Order: sequence, then C-alpha cells, then structure tokens
Amino acid sequence: MRHPTRRGFIVGSSIAVAGIAGSRFPSLAFAAPDATTNDEVLVVVFLRGGMDGLNLVVPISGADRDIYETARPNIAVPLSGSDSALPLDGQFGLHRAAEPLHNLYQEGKVAVVNATGMTEASRSHFDSMEFIERGTPGIKTTPTGWLARHFASADNVPAEIVMPSVSVGNLQATSLLGNHDTVNMADPDSFNLQIGPWEWRNAQRIALRHMYSGDSTWLHASGLQALDAMDIVELNTSGSYTPANGAVYPSGSFGDGLQVVAQMVKLDLGLRVATVDLSGWDTHVDQGNNGAGYFSSLIGILAEGLAALYTDLDGVGAANYTQRLTIVVQSEFGRRLVENADRGTDHGHGNALIVVSGNAVGGVHGTWPGIGPGQLFDDADLAVTTDFRRVLSEVLIRRMGNNHLGYIFPGYTDYEPLGVVAGVDIPPDYSTTGDGLFADDFESGGTGSWTTTSP
Amino acid sequence: MGIADIQSTHSRRELLERIRNRAERVIGDRGRVHDPRFWSERISHMRRLFKNPRGTPTKSVPSPPPAAIITLNRLGFGPRPGEVAEFNSLAGSDPARLEAWVDQQLDPMSIDDSLCDSKIGAAGYTTLNKSLAQLWQDHVASSPPWNVRLQPYYEVERATILRAVWSRRQLLEVLADFWHNHFNIYGPDSWAAPVWSHWDRVVIRGNALGNFRTMLGEVAQHPAMLYYLDNYTSSSAGPNENWARELFELHTLGADHYMGVIRQDQVPIGPGGIPVAYVDDDVFEATRCFTGWTFDFDTGLFEYRSDWHDHFQKNVLGTYIPPNQPALVDGTVVLDQVASHPGTARHVATKLAHRLIGDNPEPGLIDDAAAVFEAQSSAPDQLAQVVRTIVLHPTFLTTWGDKIKRPLEILGAALRAADGRFTFALDEDDTGTLLWRYDQAGQPLFAWRSPNGYPDRKDDWQSATPRVHSWRLMNWLIDVDDPGGTYRLNVLGQTPSQARSANQLADFWINRVFARPIPSEERQEIVEFMAQGHNPDFALPVDSDSNTQDRLRAMVGLIFMSPPFLWR
Repeated sequence: MRHPTRRGFIVGSSIAVAGIAGSRFPSLAFAAPDATTNDEVLVVVFLRGGMDGLNLVVPISGADRDIYETARPNIAVPLSGSDSALPLDGQFGLHRAAEPLHNLYQEGKVAVVNATGMTEASRSHFDSMEFIERGTPGIKTTPTGWLARHFASADNVPAEIVMPSVSVGNLQATSLLGNHDTVNMADPDSFNLQIGPWEWRNAQRIALRHMYSGDSTWLHASGLQALDAMDIVELNTSGSYTPANGAVYPSGSFGDGLQVVAQMVKLDLGLRVATVDLSGWDTHVDQGNNGAGYFSSLIGILAEGLAALYTDLDGVGAANYTQRLTIVVQSEFGRRLVENADRGTDHGHGNALIVVSGNAVGGVHGTWPGIGPGQLFDDADLAVTTDFRRVLSEVLIRRMGNNHLGYIFPGYTDYEPLGVVAGVDIPPDYSTTGDGLFADDFESGGTGSWTTTSP
Repeated sequence: MGIADIQSTHSRRELLERIRNRAERVIGDRGRVHDPRFWSERISHMRRLFKNPRGTPTKSVPSPPPAAIITLNRLGFGPRPGEVAEFNSLAGSDPARLEAWVDQQLDPMSIDDSLCDSKIGAAGYTTLNKSLAQLWQDHVASSPPWNVRLQPYYEVERATILRAVWSRRQLLEVLADFWHNHFNIYGPDSWAAPVWSHWDRVVIRGNALGNFRTMLGEVAQHPAMLYYLDNYTSSSAGPNENWARELFELHTLGADHYMGVIRQDQVPIGPGGIPVAYVDDDVFEATRCFTGWTFDFDTGLFEYRSDWHDHFQKNVLGTYIPPNQPALVDGTVVLDQVASHPGTARHVATKLAHRLIGDNPEPGLIDDAAAVFEAQSSAPDQLAQVVRTIVLHPTFLTTWGDKIKRPLEILGAALRAADGRFTFALDEDDTGTLLWRYDQAGQPLFAWRSPNGYPDRKDDWQSATPRVHSWRLMNWLIDVDDPGGTYRLNVLGQTPSQARSANQLADFWINRVFARPIPSEERQEIVEFMAQGHNPDFALPVDSDSNTQDRLRAMVGLIFMSPPFLWR
C-alpha cells in the first residue's frame, strides 16, 4: 500500500485505487504495445522574449566573424580568454556558458539549425509566439495549437496512456491549446487537495467531481480535467525525487520544470509531449559584454537544464529514455545583428534552433544566409532560410511517426527533411481538411474547426 | 478530433471499468464509504469529455442570472451580503437598475467609501500617498534596506486586495486592474517597486475613468515605464525601440493594426488621410521621436535630454514632423497620433469589452464603443463614457458564461461573500501566507513579466494549475490558522442558529455566496455532502460536534470550488 496515511484520498480517486491494489498503470497492460505504437517523448522548450541566437551560435571565422565583431563591439562573444566561444565546427562556436550543451554536442547529441524562423515577418513578440505555437504563421486565431493537432492526428499513440502531455508552468502552453488531456502543472508536490479539514477531504473531492460532472459546459469539462490530472499526479509523485546519474538541475523554475518532465517520463505514465518555458530573453539593454553578464547566465541556466534533463534520462536498458527523447529549443525570433547603444539588441528575425536527442544527427545544420551587406533581412537581421515548421515536421515524421503535416501545419506544403534527427521517412500527408482522420461525429469537435481559418 | 482520441475513448472506458471493478473489490471489502454512482458517472462523463475537448462547449453556457448577479460579478468582485437587494432597489427594471448602478460607479467620489478607507488605515501602510519625489527619496535615493525599497509595491499589492474586498467603488477597482494590465509593468522590479504607489494612484487610478491621451502622456513619462521598456536610455546615438514598439502594439493601435515589415508608403490610407495600420518603419521613426525622454536617477523625475534627442525630421503614421522641433514636441506628436488613431479606439474598446462582457462581444458593441472613444477624445471623462457604452449595451444582461473568474476575482468574491477579515498588513503572517498561496494560482498581482499583461481569454484560465490552486486556496481559507487557533473565515459564527439541517445549512450558504439559486444538480451535491447519507432535513450537531463543524466549513469551501462560483 503506497499511501497508508492517505485513506481519505483513495476513495475519491480512481487512479489511486489502482495504486492501492499494488499495481501501477503499465501493469494493467490492456493493449500491449504493438508495431504501430510510438513511445517517443518530445520536449519543447520555448525561450520567451526573443533569444539572441547570434550570441548563442556565434560566427568564429572568416568575413562573418569580422562583420559580427564590428556589429557588436561590446557584446560579441570572444574567441579567446575564459569566456571564449566553444567551437562547433570551423565556422561557428557556442557561447561559453553553454558548455554543458557543448559536451552533449561533442557526443553527437545536439543538432544546431541556423537561421530558422518564419517567412512571415513580424517583430512582435506576441504575434510571433502565437504564430509559432498555433503552427500557422500569419494567423493567430487558429483555435488549437500545433501539438494539440499532433495528438489529434497521431494514430500511433497507445490508447491507455494516462498522461500524454504535460505543460509545465502556471498556464497551459498555446501549442497545446485545445488538447484536453494535457496536465498543466507547476509543481507536483502541491498539485492536490490535501488541504482543509482532513476528515472531509475525501467526501469533498467526490462531491467536487460530481458537481463538475453535472453539466457539460467547457467549464465543467475543464474542472474534470483538473480533477483527473490531480488524481494521476497525486498518486504517482509521493516522496522526494532524486535525479539519476548525478544530474543537477539549475535552481529556479526552469530547472524545476525540466525535473518535473523527467519525473513524469520515468513514471511510465505514457508521457509523449512536454512544454517548458524559459523567459527573460528580451535583452534590449546590457545583455552582457564579451561573453559574460546577464545573457551568459541565462544561457548557463538553459544549457545546464538541458544537460541535466538529458543526463537524468540517460539510463540503460528500459531506463534508457534518451533513446526516445527529443528536445526542441526555440524562440519567437532572433535579435538584430548590430548591438544597440545600450549594449543590448533589438528584435530581429532569423534565429538558431537547437535539437537535443539521443537520435540527433549532431552538427550544424541549415543554410547560413550570411550577415554581410545584402544578406540581411530588412538590411538588419539574420535572414530566415529554414522554416521552423520544417524542423518540427521532421521531428514529427522521423521521431513521432506522424505525417499529417497538412493538418498540423495547414498551409505548409513543401516539407523536405533537413536531417537533424535520425528516423524513418514517411511521405507527408498534406490533406488539410482532416479527411481520413475523422471517422465519425468527432469532426464537429473543436480541433476540426480550424479549417475555417486556414489560408 | 482524430483517430487517437477515438481509440482512447474506447480504451479508456475499458480501463475505467477495470478500475471500477477493482475498486469495488478493494473498497467494498474494507467497508469504506462507497458511492457506486461515482464510478458510473465518472465513466460516462469521461466519455463525454473525450468527445468534447477543452474549450468546446457541448451546449451553450448557463442561462444568464439576474441583472444584479451579472453586474456585481462582472463590474465588481462579487456581491457582499445585502448588495443584491441594494442593487434591486435602485430602480424598477433591470436596465434601469444597471444604468443607475453604473452611473453611481462612474462617479466614484460620490460613493462613501469610509469603511474601506478605515480598513486601509488600519493596515498601517505608509507609502500609498507619497509623491513621486518622496518615494524616490525614501525608497531609492536614501539606499534603504531591500524590503524598504520594495515596500511601496508590497503595500499596493495588499491594498489592492483590501479594496477589492471592501471598497464600494467596485467598478473603479475592476478598471484599475484592467489598466494595470493594459499598461503592464513588472511591479516587483527593483526600479518599479519603489514608485509603485505613485504609478497606481496617479497614473492608473487617476485616469482609469478619465482621458486616454492624458493617461498615455503620464504613462510615457513615468520612471517605472521609462525603465521597464528601456526608453530611459534611448538616445540619438543609441536609439532603443522597445517602448515605441509596445506603444503601438500593446498600448494603442494593437497588433491587429500592424502590417509588419513593409514600407510606410505601402500601407493603405484610410479616412482622413491616415494610414490604416503601422509598420516597423513607424516604430523606428517613433523611437527617434522619443529619444531623450528619460528620468533623473537622483530624483526619479521625468527629464528631457535635448542632447540625447534626434532632432532631424521624422515621419510617423503619415505625419511629417519637421526637424528641430522644440523640446518634447516630437514625442507629443506621436502620442497625439496614436491616441487619436481609429485603430486605437477599436483596440481599447475591444479589450474593455473582453474584460467587462466576454471573449466574443457583438461587433456592433465594439463599433459603438469605438465611436464614443473617437468622438469623446477630448473629453475629460472619455474612458468613463466608453465603459458606459459597453456595459449599457443590451448584450451585457443577456450574455453569461463566456468567461470565468480569474484568481483575483475568485479570492475577492470569496472574501466578500464570507466576510473575510484579513488585515493585509505588511507584517501579518496570515496575509503573507494567503498571498503566497494566491500567487500559485497564476495571477500574482502586478507580476506578469511581459508587457502584454495577464491574458484575458477564457482559454488561458481553464487549465489545471489555476483550477487546482484556486481550489486549494479556498480550502485553506475555510481552515484553521493552527490547531486550536482561530479560523480564517468565521463560518460558524455567521451561520444562523436556526439553520441546522443539511438542507438549511446548504441553502443559507448558497444564498449567502450566490444570492440566487444555483442549478439543482449542484445544490444537491452540496446538500448531500453536508448530509453524508443522513436525512437532509434532520438537524446536525453543529453546535457541539467539531467533526460536523469541520464538515460545515468544508461545505463552504465546496461552494467556493463549485462551477457556479466561477462564471462571470
């Protein structure tokens, strides 16, 4: 019995009942995973505020280096000294504070994609985030997120999954908007109703479930979702968590959030998608000189967090989660090539995107557009040569086994793999109406209605 | 919905049925409380849930409640005992009552708020009425300890909840919250916190029912905003576009009137020869206009530095600004341009309608409100007139359930309904704990980091974290401070001695919290919780049995956690 002191909770929770009977979900094992099952885990890390990719993936040689140093006399990442860039190849280096990420790069687990972004030009944080997370550049009224549409169209996700997705933070990520199975949670230890008069908690919880079952408005549905999520998390996260392999997460909400993801992966609740945010990248002022300062510490948190998650999940045998782990790190846009007078950078365009995976094709990818005269977007910013949807589509097809690109990214029709992760190619399905996906009356549901706003 | 969901519907049903069988064995054997209805309902509603994803109502929302309930929950933080009757006594019909109430509220100084004032006074705040210069002297220039530096922020945070709970000027409180988010600044920042009471009192509250252009001018020159959006450092040698960009995108025209990275001469011209939208070039030009708008770090006061200003000619939104204008003229012209742009009228009207009515206001309502915004652009009460137009629109009383309470409204409504008496004094432990718990629900006051303010669509507030942590907060409120200590809400003391049966206790508190009947299914759950299997008409030992007393408190918590409590 896992919770001898928590009798009150047990009656209110179906999941707990499975637990008290000495059995966790996987052991219920109704449908054994078959050949069509995909158990990949995709973690999407969103860097909010516009991460300065030119200072994360830094030109280290040739004419671009000269241009870069001229454009950024104070904030350029140096080539020598204790804060010098760590070479990725002959052309680019990583910010020194990303050393933990560089270590993974040297093991071939990191793919860097230069100059990604949207062809629709917007230097607005909020528009850009909406475009990316809804998966429809130029359209921010699409009612569902791209990850929600991934779930809605994936035909290889085992049915008995208890927790297919988790959105770490105070609010659910827009990329999962419309997905009713997502558990949105900041901290598993307080994600329960173990509060209030103890002798009535259980009865109160049953009554609460009844009340939220009593009608079928969106509010009732979301209340039930919260109750279900609590049931799942409460049973499965008792006790403290010790990361494996000596992994050390950086302190703060980002490290905490990644640790929650690792915890959920290891619980074998069927986690397939997680979203975690790291904010604070809108570095208009004093982002740090010569590879040090504010931006450097933020990069440190990012890199330490990614490395900790990878290390924590890098077990052997059945615990070798990294073999099915793909982390995508993206931001809404990059920043201007030229530093401003405040030793910061203003909103730009193209940006580096990072993929960390046990199945990464390590290296620097994408077409580098150059930063010389005539090569910049709007004469100011790194251009975009790789549509962000191309990278995400490759992860969807090669890792998640979902080729319904027309449904997930309506309007995106010219996918070709870039080669950032290993995997099997499936011809993309560009059908945007969901034909073949909707077998019955479900198509009247919310996720089907996006077609009304497709281009 | 796709294949995965269809499959999971089927298979989860199996799963739950197996769990149910197992549960019946396990729990049944132990003779524990067992409600078979729980399992069958759970399964049928899980099915329904899978068919209808989050955010997709299967039926329309609840029917609109009486006018008083709509008004007090949307234009205020929920009714205090007696306020519904008070509202109903204002006039003979609902529209007339609404109009009378709104007109009172739009003239807040005419409303006696001495009770709230006494609560604020009792909390012992010392920074709320300081001038900007005084705040800077006391909380920045004198290099005080860190908690003193941040004290104005902490006091405004607490005073804001006190006012939500006690002030009779409820609409002003709702609008202050709106404008704080419209002109969002991250308040706990070390440069914003010391001047927070000035920002709140003068710029936000001082203009919440006033003139938009006047407000915008004060926003543009306030040290908290100059620092937050970096304009304090913007000079001709080093322009910083952060402020100018958010001025267009968030504060005035809005992203719906942004045409991105195209040239100014490619933007269509609308009525009056004004470009219909702004582009990046306008942001850059406006950035030049605001160069030299900074503040003095010794005094905190606004300062115009001519030597930092870009004196050459500019072109913003189709208006040519000649070179070498007198001090402040360039920026003033920009503020005039954006404040009077038709896009701004629509943007502000739409956001207000989202806050005061729902996510999908009738287009005609926006047209009306935007027209008033434009026509009254010089009126000292322009914003009051816009608000009046929105809330007196016929759809105000006919729409319901397009919105739920956010955590601040949940907390406010609970404390109002149950007469919560937290002092919200700076050093009071219980207040500190309350705020810590409240923050976990996802809406810590003035602490949204990005300049767009807290999201205001229902989609953003229906996920699990806000729900679970709001529920937790409610159960914390009805609980005891420490074993043997006092209770945070005086549930027992407010329950009349003649209400002792489960039916009576439930009905008293339902009426107390909602001031109206709630759906019978939900009332029944509250009654059954209180009755615990006994005849709901039998008297319960509320006066003698601590276990029953706890159950009564938990019942009040349950009411605060129920769906009807959340609608607005």
